[in-house]
Amino acid sequence: MEVKIEIIEGCTLVKIAGRLDTATAGEFEKAIAPILEGTMQHVILDCADFTYISSSGLRLFLVLQKSALAKGGKLSIRDMSAEIKSIFDMTGFSSLFTFEQSNV
Amino acid sequence: MIKVEQLSKKFGELTVLKEINIEIKKGEIISIIGPSGTGKSTFLRCLNLLEKPSGGKIFIDEVDIMDTKNDLNHLRQKMGMVFQNFNLFEHLSVIDNLTIGPIKLLNKDKKEAVAKARELLQLVGLAAKEDAFPDELSGGQQQRVAIARCLSMEPEIILFDEPTSALDPTMVSEVLGVIRRLASNGMTMAIVTHEMKFARDVSTRVLYMDEGIIYEEGTPEQIFDHPQKEKTISFIRRIRNFSYHIADNLYDFYDLRAGIENFANKHFFGPKEINNLNLAVEETLQLCFVEGNAAERNRIIRDHGGIEIMLSFAEQTRAISLSFAADEALGTILNPVEETDGLSRIILSGITEQLEETLSDGKVMVTMTLK
Repeated sequence: MEVKIEIIEGCTLVKIAGRLDTATAGEFEKAIAPILEGTMQHVILDCADFTYISSSGLRLFLVLQKSALAKGGKLSIRDMSAEIKSIFDMTGFSSLFTFEQSNV
Repeated sequence: MIKVEQLSKKFGELTVLKEINIEIKKGEIISIIGPSGTGKSTFLRCLNLLEKPSGGKIFIDEVDIMDTKNDLNHLRQKMGMVFQNFNLFEHLSVIDNLTIGPIKLLNKDKKEAVAKARELLQLVGLAAKEDAFPDELSGGQQQRVAIARCLSMEPEIILFDEPTSALDPTMVSEVLGVIRRLASNGMTMAIVTHEMKFARDVSTRVLYMDEGIIYEEGTPEQIFDHPQKEKTISFIRRIRNFSYHIADNLYDFYDLRAGIENFANKHFFGPKEINNLNLAVEETLQLCFVEGNAAERNRIIRDHGGIEIMLSFAEQTRAISLSFAADEALGTILNPVEETDGLSRIILSGITEQLEETLSDGKVMVTMTLK
């Protein structure tokens, strides 16, 4: 798994590539710690190269979501594949998040 | 068509083939399966004398090809061979690879050889590649050219020596597709393969080789569904199942995942099947090790022999089943914890057709069949 964080036009863009599972959840948690501790309100998770998520990853998405909401902001999930979205649908997580497609 | 009597092959002191007897009749499609290093490829190479047998006799149409009085080249032309690593002439274009043999060895004129080559390239789906050179083609395409080149020599039987084992998994099916087509056209073939589903579907007879002998032979149904002898039973069980032992929560996640994905690729699971399989294992182990009183549960698992995971695949129905077994002292594997988000359980229910946990014979066992 690879995580890149950029600040673009007042938003935190988190690009996540590869798998978010039991083995990589700790690494992801560490990567997003500055976002949770910071003041940035709007977070975009770029999932174009994201290939797998398990419950360990879903929980961390939820942590990010709660953090953004608590700061009066929001979390958007961008370009998520249908396969991964199906896990969100299955667990009822789809209704908790905002999904968007980039124009590219 | 081919009759082998008492065939043996030694490399120094090492006996690789021990007095093999077999008859291959016209139109038969014979798959040769078995563990690595048991003489399968050597047997094939002895059949067309690429390896000189140490003893025995090989008859093609009643002519003993080991008798030096007979025209070996003429007899060899009746047998084509397709190799693991294609063995194309790298400096020749595809069409020249297909015409050089017929022109030089079968005395065909160029026009006739080219026309036949084009027909064969059409057959293997590579009509558009006649001017390409081997290094411009993918592995799957090169192997299809190799098959077409073999056919250009008008063999009566083709020997395939692990024709897909050097290929990327994505290219295996295109080569198997061509071999299936030859099979349906009635070509006599002997195929050393590790592709069990293919061997089962395409063969008229399966030879299981072990310890340098044809240990058991029969129809695909006999060998794959009702093997009789100990080593065959054990081999067939191994190729259908993947088992993994976990001692405690410090198990090697990557090793487990690699084993699962290797098994999945071998049986051509699709991306969704592979994803669901990984999820099923991961979420079950999440419930087992992480939720509830994790330290105490881990101690019980470690002190009572760990957890056995078994992944099974039924080729006929394509059903993928998983089981997890632990000592009954653990009480439950799908640990139901009240103060949990229930995510793992929801995912498991979402990706399985059947999911149950039972307690019997001193074991707690979870079984599931994936959707």
